[in-house]
Amino acid sequence: MNLKIWHKMIIGISVPSLIALIGGLFSYGYVRDVKDRQGFVMLADDLKESVLEVRRNEKNFLLHKDIEYFKYFQNSTSSLKNSLSNISAKTVEEIGENNFSQFREAIQIYSGIINDLYMQYQQEKDIIEKVREEGRKLETLVAVKKISRELSTSFILNLRRLEKNYMLFRDKPSFNALDSALTQIKNIIPFCFECVPYTESIYDLSEVYGKSDSLINDLQVKGEGLESITYKIAESERQKISAFLNHTQKLLVLALVLLCTLGPFLVYKTATYIAAPIKRLADITRKISEGDLNLRAPLKEHDETYSLALSFNTMLDHLQLTHESLEKSLELLHEKQIEAEKRASLGFLISGVTHELNNPLNNISLTAETMKEDLNGLSRKEMEECIQDILTQTERAKHIVSDVLEFVGTHKATVMEKLDIVALIEGSINLVANQLRVNNITLKTDIPNIVFFVNGNKNKLEEVFVNIIVNAFHAMKDSGTLTIGIRTDRANKNVFIDISDTGCGIPETELKNIFEPFFTTKPVGEGTGLGLSVTHSIIAKHKGDIRVQSRVGEGTTFTIRLPLYEEEVKSSNV
Amino acid sequence: MPDMLRIMIIDDEPIVGKRLKRLLEKADYIVETFTDGLMAIKELEKEYFDIVITDLKMEHCDGMKVLEAARNENPDAKVIIITGFGKMETATEALNKGAFDFIIKPFKIEEIKQVILKAETELRKIKN
Repeated sequence: MNLKIWHKMIIGISVPSLIALIGGLFSYGYVRDVKDRQGFVMLADDLKESVLEVRRNEKNFLLHKDIEYFKYFQNSTSSLKNSLSNISAKTVEEIGENNFSQFREAIQIYSGIINDLYMQYQQEKDIIEKVREEGRKLETLVAVKKISRELSTSFILNLRRLEKNYMLFRDKPSFNALDSALTQIKNIIPFCFECVPYTESIYDLSEVYGKSDSLINDLQVKGEGLESITYKIAESERQKISAFLNHTQKLLVLALVLLCTLGPFLVYKTATYIAAPIKRLADITRKISEGDLNLRAPLKEHDETYSLALSFNTMLDHLQLTHESLEKSLELLHEKQIEAEKRASLGFLISGVTHELNNPLNNISLTAETMKEDLNGLSRKEMEECIQDILTQTERAKHIVSDVLEFVGTHKATVMEKLDIVALIEGSINLVANQLRVNNITLKTDIPNIVFFVNGNKNKLEEVFVNIIVNAFHAMKDSGTLTIGIRTDRANKNVFIDISDTGCGIPETELKNIFEPFFTTKPVGEGTGLGLSVTHSIIAKHKGDIRVQSRVGEGTTFTIRLPLYEEEVKSSNV
Repeated sequence: MPDMLRIMIIDDEPIVGKRLKRLLEKADYIVETFTDGLMAIKELEKEYFDIVITDLKMEHCDGMKVLEAARNENPDAKVIIITGFGKMETATEALNKGAFDFIIKPFKIEEIKQVILKAETELRKIKN
């Protein structure tokens, strides 16, 4: 995806925020629904209260059976009906049309039963009145003995008591007791015409009571039905609220879990996504800073790092051009410097050679003149000494001349080839191995198991290493440790050869002169002082350099730097 | 001879001292030789020498230092410089600093004899 860093950042931040927002919106919706449902529960509770009020009035009416309580009863029923009709169609739809139609129907039936019951009670009153009147008539007839004497006053009084009991309790046992008393009349007087109206009115009463009881029963059943409907509505709404709350809880937990897991993951992903191109750029710049100016930053990204990489590459192009031109100038300068040094050193060389040669010549001349002047005065021993001096000094002069010839030879063009420097150093060590053993010198090497190539002349470089090694064990005299190490620099452009001894060391004042021609610390006649000078010029010819570190009494380290073979340099950087 | 001249010879080439010592002793001079300039300077501080013959280019202490030391310790002494360099600059510099004369290597015995004789004549003139 071709996204800019700030796009990536916005995505990384907005996705978790979006999760939180969606979770929040859903929760808000659920909470709003819960509030609505709470209203429905309150409504259902109100209805339930009204139903209970109606039922309380129902009980009062059933107890008192008069018009006053009947009116209370009717009022509460009609107020229930009113509040039912005031409920909005939307609420009805939300709570459930079915519940409401059931409720309305139940109220309708319930009020019908009440009206019937009221009528029934009017009828009941009339019959009770008739029963009492017939009772009183029968009582009077018995008292004036118009009816058979077998029907006593006490019997009638007992009958009237049973009649009152029945009216009071309206139950089966009371009726059975009354019925058996009426049957007893038949036993006493098989055909008592005066008793018939009373007996019939009692049975009428029993019939009316039966009807009333059945209506009351219906009324109570319907009343309980009303109660249960309101209860059902309230209960169903409560369950709905509970379900909503459960949903909200689950959703919030889900959102939280998503935020806790997906959030950090997304932030991590975004961070790495943003950092990756920067890291790639940093890696490549590090490699370039280590010296490989041929590398370039990749231009694959399409974000802000693209222009950064582009500017960096342009800068590198300039840098490389400057670097190359600088290198060329430096090479030119180096060549000029070598040329100038050559010219300067020629004069120095001639004056050095003159002085060096004048000494043995002077010695020879002095000795020869002594012999000539005092030919007869010299003893044989003195004569032999003089001849030996002449021979030694002649040899010395010869040596100087051959060293000078060799030194001049280093200034000639040398044939360069691709050389394995490690093998060359090992070969040089082999050349002096015998001398090392004889001089009791321990050899330590730190040579890597890799091949390093340089552009050089085998014989000249061998001469350099042998010369330094021989110098080292001259410095150590009888015993010591010679350490030879090979290493490369970080950019892999140069090889360094370190040759250390544990010899007498070179005083600081002499260190700066050791590469000058004819400088020597050896006794007169032992060295011409050209060895290190020749070494120096051979290394310079190889575009390298030689450095020396020394401490008197501790030892000396020569470090030779040679540039690695061009091809080698390139191939190792790929 | 009661006034035999004392000559000091300094050269790091031992053959020079050896041959000149034999030659000059035969010519009735008292001769002491040194191959190290520093040792010679120490000796100059202790002993009197009429003539000092010194090589110019020596390893530890060059002839110029010996010349300075001789001029300080004994201003009457005649200092003769021997130089291996063919250049006149160093020789004239030595003369400017008070050297009596100079000889260039390789030299003939006759040359050094002449210079010593010249110095001796000068010394005797001053003494008389």
